[in-house]
Amino acid sequence: MNDQPLWLTFIFAFLIMNVLLIGMAYMTYFERKMLGAMQDRMGPTRTGPKGLLQPIADGIKLLGKEDLIPRAADKWVFFFAPLIVFVTAIVGAAVIPFGGTINAFGRDLNLYITDLNVGALFVLAFSSIGVYGIILGAWASSNRYSLLGGLRAAAQVVSYEIILGLSLVGVFMLAGSLSLRDIMLEQQTNLELGPLTVKNWFILSQPLAFILFMIAAVAETNRAPFDLPEAESELVSGFHTEYSAFRFSFYFLGEYISMIVVSLFAATLFLGGPSGPGSSDHWYLGILYILIKAIVFLFFYIWLRATLPRFRYDQLMGLAWKVLLPLVILNIVVTAAIRLASDGLLF
Amino acid sequence: MPWEVIIFYLIAGVAILSAGGVVAARNPVHSAVLLMVCFIQIAAVFVMLGAEFLAVIQIIVYTGAILVLLLFVLMLVDPEDLPEFHTGRPVQRAIGALLGLILLLEVAAAVVTRTITGRQGSATLENIEAVGGNTEALGRQIYTEHLLAFEIVSMVLTIGILGAIVLAMPERLGVSGYRRRDTISLGHPRGTDLALPATAGAPIRATAGSKPEPAGIGRTLVMAGDPDEQPVVGGGRR
Repeated sequence: MNDQPLWLTFIFAFLIMNVLLIGMAYMTYFERKMLGAMQDRMGPTRTGPKGLLQPIADGIKLLGKEDLIPRAADKWVFFFAPLIVFVTAIVGAAVIPFGGTINAFGRDLNLYITDLNVGALFVLAFSSIGVYGIILGAWASSNRYSLLGGLRAAAQVVSYEIILGLSLVGVFMLAGSLSLRDIMLEQQTNLELGPLTVKNWFILSQPLAFILFMIAAVAETNRAPFDLPEAESELVSGFHTEYSAFRFSFYFLGEYISMIVVSLFAATLFLGGPSGPGSSDHWYLGILYILIKAIVFLFFYIWLRATLPRFRYDQLMGLAWKVLLPLVILNIVVTAAIRLASDGLLF
Repeated sequence: MPWEVIIFYLIAGVAILSAGGVVAARNPVHSAVLLMVCFIQIAAVFVMLGAEFLAVIQIIVYTGAILVLLLFVLMLVDPEDLPEFHTGRPVQRAIGALLGLILLLEVAAAVVTRTITGRQGSATLENIEAVGGNTEALGRQIYTEHLLAFEIVSMVLTIGILGAIVLAMPERLGVSGYRRRDTISLGHPRGTDLALPATAGAPIRATAGSKPEPAGIGRTLVMAGDPDEQPVVGGGRR
């Protein structure tokens, strides 16, 4: 399974982490440009050619700002809550496969950091720890708006995590594994659809699960239209009202990195990950394909933010428990029945 | 091998220290945070033992769901309203120590009778490898050999859910609206408390005299971090 030396894995992990950080910086640029285009304005243009240096200028600005701590804050919890969000967001990328094993520089290299046999659950587990960063930060700020934002975040994330986890059960049943690498390999087999022969991407066999996963993923990352925890019109800015400077930027980093990781995760689970024309011969095409698929999802996030108004809180919880949960259970039952029937075990 | 031993002692040490901290911390939220650290360390021990599935489930269920809900409650409680844990109450402390001792003896007895002197069970490394891994082996055991126990557990959980629904069900307005004035309404069926009976709109104290008072109604809602609760410069806590 993991037969490469540990130092190679460390180098690969280091690369992925830096790519994620740079990707996060340019995700903000991408978002502002796209929002600008959708709202018929320019977006950032002043810093560097076409505003390309804007994310770097923003980062330097955040580093240089004064770090304020409320007098009544619980100092220790206030200090490390943003770190929880940041770390748990970035750890999820450890199990995303960017391809199989390749032969380069005279060695066999794995294009993934680790192949846990419970990889998909690993991502879910760390996203569920991430909510601690939000509610502890909210509580430690000693601010009513923060506390309300934190409570909303906790209820929202715990509810939507159930949908997120259960929507993947159909995929697990079809792939017969919880390992993301096995799920990726399963999607490289061919599927006969009448006259067509296509790759067995799970978006084709699990369309309902895919839609539910996307809705739950948007809620899980606290993005519009589910950004109730930081609803600025009612809660100032929710759980991070009292955070400033670099501590605030950890929340910011955490939110955008978890968007990127969730997009990579969705691309791996439903769109075949690195699979695409020519990807079995050239590994770099595979990496290009998974990145393109992730960017499509990131564009979807921005598109939602520019299009939809925010949900009301009771609508949000009602949607999760009264609409999405029955649908996701229906999907599991139907998938299980079809799987059993195709093996000749039903009737 | 020595590396694994060193990492194990690191994890075990942090787990024991944080478990001690859960008991020693004066703020219940700090206790919950330390309990989270302890749970994650235990998950790490499971990973070292090759039980990845158990580790991930430990994090998702205990750390990600149960402890979050516990923290949710603790955040809304004013620490000064809690009974004092660290002084007095000799009977409770003695009972707690006794129960802890009994639990420790039970674990020791299990280790002695099963691991050291008992006969080997069917879950050996070879058998697990033959099924295809820990996750598969666990699934097969639960859904074949222990199916009845599994179904009974799911029945018990369903009863728990029904109990929660009955407790949280909106009662007839009048009593409920009156009580709900003092709670934070998250996910209330109507979203707001607008549809209350006319009496509920009046100040609470005015109507409270004629009815049996629910516990705590006389006290204003104090949330954690209320400005009145903050230490004054040059003075201690109120």
